[in-house]
Amino acid sequence: MAADIHSVAPEVVVEFLSTIMPFNELDTDVLHEVARHVRVDFFPKGTRLFTAGETEVNFLYLIQRGGVKSFLTDDEGEVTLKDYRGEGSYIGALPIIRGTRANLDIEMVEDTFCFLLPRDVFLDLINKQPGFAQFYLKSFSEKIVNTAYTELRRHRMTRRGDEEMYLFTMQVGDIIKAVPRKIAATASIQDAARAMAEYRIGSLLIHDPNDDEQIVGIITDRDLRNKVIAAGLDYQEPVSRIMTGPVATVLSKSTCFDALLKMMTTGIHHLAVERKGRIIGVVTSHDIMLLQGTSPYSLFKEIGKQRTIQGLYPLSQKIPDIIRNLIKEGAKAGNIARMISLLNDQILERLLSLLEDELGPPPVPYCWLLMGSEGRREQTFKTDQDNAIIYADPKDEQEAQAASDYFSTFADKAIDHLVNCGYPLCPGEIMARNPRWCQPVSVWKDYFSRWIGTPDPEELLNVTIFFDFRPGFGKTALAEELRKHLREQTKRQEIYLLHLARECMAVKAPLSFFKSFIVNKDGEHRNKLDLKTRGLTPFVNFARVLALKYGIKETNTLARLHVLAEEGHISEELWATAHDAYELQMQLRLIHQLSQIEEGILPDNYIDPAQLSDLEKKMLKESFEVVERLHAVLRSLFPVG
Amino acid sequence: MLSCALFFRWGKMVSLRDLLPGFRKVHPALAKNRELFKDFNQGRLLTEYQFVVFDTELTGLNRRKDEIISIGAVRMVNLQIELSQTFHCYVRPRDINPNAATLVHRITPEQLRAAPPMEEVLPDFLEFCGDALLVGHFVGIDMHFLGKAARKHLGGMISNPSVDTMRLARGYKEARCRDHFGGCDQSESYNLDLLSDEFNLPRFKPHDALEDALQTAYLFLFLIKKFKHGGIRTLKELYLAGRILSLMGRG
Repeated sequence: MAADIHSVAPEVVVEFLSTIMPFNELDTDVLHEVARHVRVDFFPKGTRLFTAGETEVNFLYLIQRGGVKSFLTDDEGEVTLKDYRGEGSYIGALPIIRGTRANLDIEMVEDTFCFLLPRDVFLDLINKQPGFAQFYLKSFSEKIVNTAYTELRRHRMTRRGDEEMYLFTMQVGDIIKAVPRKIAATASIQDAARAMAEYRIGSLLIHDPNDDEQIVGIITDRDLRNKVIAAGLDYQEPVSRIMTGPVATVLSKSTCFDALLKMMTTGIHHLAVERKGRIIGVVTSHDIMLLQGTSPYSLFKEIGKQRTIQGLYPLSQKIPDIIRNLIKEGAKAGNIARMISLLNDQILERLLSLLEDELGPPPVPYCWLLMGSEGRREQTFKTDQDNAIIYADPKDEQEAQAASDYFSTFADKAIDHLVNCGYPLCPGEIMARNPRWCQPVSVWKDYFSRWIGTPDPEELLNVTIFFDFRPGFGKTALAEELRKHLREQTKRQEIYLLHLARECMAVKAPLSFFKSFIVNKDGEHRNKLDLKTRGLTPFVNFARVLALKYGIKETNTLARLHVLAEEGHISEELWATAHDAYELQMQLRLIHQLSQIEEGILPDNYIDPAQLSDLEKKMLKESFEVVERLHAVLRSLFPVG
Repeated sequence: MLSCALFFRWGKMVSLRDLLPGFRKVHPALAKNRELFKDFNQGRLLTEYQFVVFDTELTGLNRRKDEIISIGAVRMVNLQIELSQTFHCYVRPRDINPNAATLVHRITPEQLRAAPPMEEVLPDFLEFCGDALLVGHFVGIDMHFLGKAARKHLGGMISNPSVDTMRLARGYKEARCRDHFGGCDQSESYNLDLLSDEFNLPRFKPHDALEDALQTAYLFLFLIKKFKHGGIRTLKELYLAGRILSLMGRG
């Protein structure tokens, strides 16, 4: 028969599904089968698709073109906007999975075409496809910093080709980080356990008592648990009683893939790595899994385990990969920024503790301060260093000299290491190695007193980022003392806030930008938008001025806005709107920078509006309109003239 | 080619016979088609009808000489596009010339030579259409060539009414124009590509019968739902929307 009726689903659906999560993980056959059930429907702008608690949801709706907003209307008719969803997003998953009616109100904000996947077909995928249910049920709230990491790792995203290549190109010898830790077979079990605790390792090699190059066995955490504690064995017994020997080995020149294969086939997860007849280290399945490094948690743990500063260098380079996955999993920008600072903080903490080990303890307590976007926990991929050191006031000349010497060396080294970890230098030299920004508490207090008491508008602009300081490492109390000082000074003299507020109001939202953009729709006018200075900074500045005014110690912009709303300084509604607007822009910036990184370009903040979808443009425009409302608040607090 | 010439002459003989009432023989597919529309009810809601949105590719636009070389179609049920219910078939014409039209359609002469002739394709297509209303862009042209083929190979006309999205688009734009006094777009382009861009529809590759049929289906869906704030609900409203409905084969 000639005609292919009822046969292949048009490529358009398959193509579409294979670009969106989690359908892109399906086998081709399953994908085609799913595509066969898909229909297309169209909903003009303004259509109410769902009414919460009423609408029966019979399809999963996947937006092919257009956009919707989701919101909730309470008993008094008050509307809370939840979300905008654009092309590639889904509608209706939760009610179908939970077997309830619609949980949100959904309305089309543009003419919208949707692919409709019948309820039963979707439920079948939820039941049969690993990872499908998690994708729709997972929430990216606090969980992400606590427990969800293992689940994240299991639920892997689209693998990039080179991740698997890694397994084939990296040699086992290249991924060993430390010298092999070993102990004589005659040592006690307790001594062995102590060594493992000291080196923070999960396994220990056992050598011949007469020849420490002769490896006769290995013990692991599991041996201590199963053969010692559970069995009630005396800790003073020789370690040889519980070791596994001889040790399974792998050549240092083997690829990681070969090592992994060996582990999987033998069930042995600790392999001694051999080079020219010598054991040079141990490699575990965990080490190899880390190469695919997509789990934030495993990276976090890995950073904490480093015994050398050099070991930290490659780890910080993995952060973009982690973030890429989080974005693809649909994490919100606010959470992603928190994750980035969590990982950066962990690197900093490890780096500075190792540096302290190297240089010896500091003569007086100190605190490493983070400023600017680091201080606000709003870093993205490209994070210039903005740091300083505050240390306790020395008790005499001699201690002062010692402190000055120590921290100057300490800062120099720390900053070099940070550069090696991939954090570029601050062009304005706002770094702890600049003597001006490496000072005792009393000097820091004087700085702030001067900025606040006799504000020079020019200078004030250059130091705004100092007002966003937070403790990064060391004695937190020193940073808190400074914060307290700042709060007290501000209570007495607010004049400097007026300068900050004026500066903030001077930056107008780039709404005209959209007008000219619309006029030059198809023209050559490819003017770009600096999302950081025009879009995000007004929010940051607004939150800073008000946080300082009301003595709020938070430094994060969203957190500041939240406290402002809680304390009643801004309305709940403005908080919600500003939160959405700010987070949306952060998201756009992250995605923009991610795609630059993937293209091998240095990430920046310049958005080409031609690259934005209509929905994104609309949402961006609405975000900018919020800035006008923030300015109105400032005008009422700080009347001009 | 000899075979082509013979085929052509034989075809002509059939159409000559068509003119003589005593010789008229109706193909079973066409008989079924007529049966389906014997009591066609025009008073139902649009959601209760099925639509088959289709497009044909031709060897050229000469109404007398040119022929259909491919048919693409997609079904709509409950005013939703059923992407899995499509029809796509090349048709072997009597005369295969690697002319300009086939180049536009990216169909090679080899593909056409391997394709079945119209007398095999048409009954399948009618089967696919069933009692659906046909929808096309500038549908008059497609209906002309389809009708010509039906008369020749099946012995009569097809009964399915047809809807023209071009005329529907014109009705929509005129109505919109009346709503926005003076502020309307004066461009009078009703080309499928340009309309799809104007209405910001998802795009398909042009010049492929199935892809064009899908594009037309999107346009149709857009128009009936955007018309008159709230959309067109009944067949009668659809007819009035621009007098775009012609009940071909029923006059």
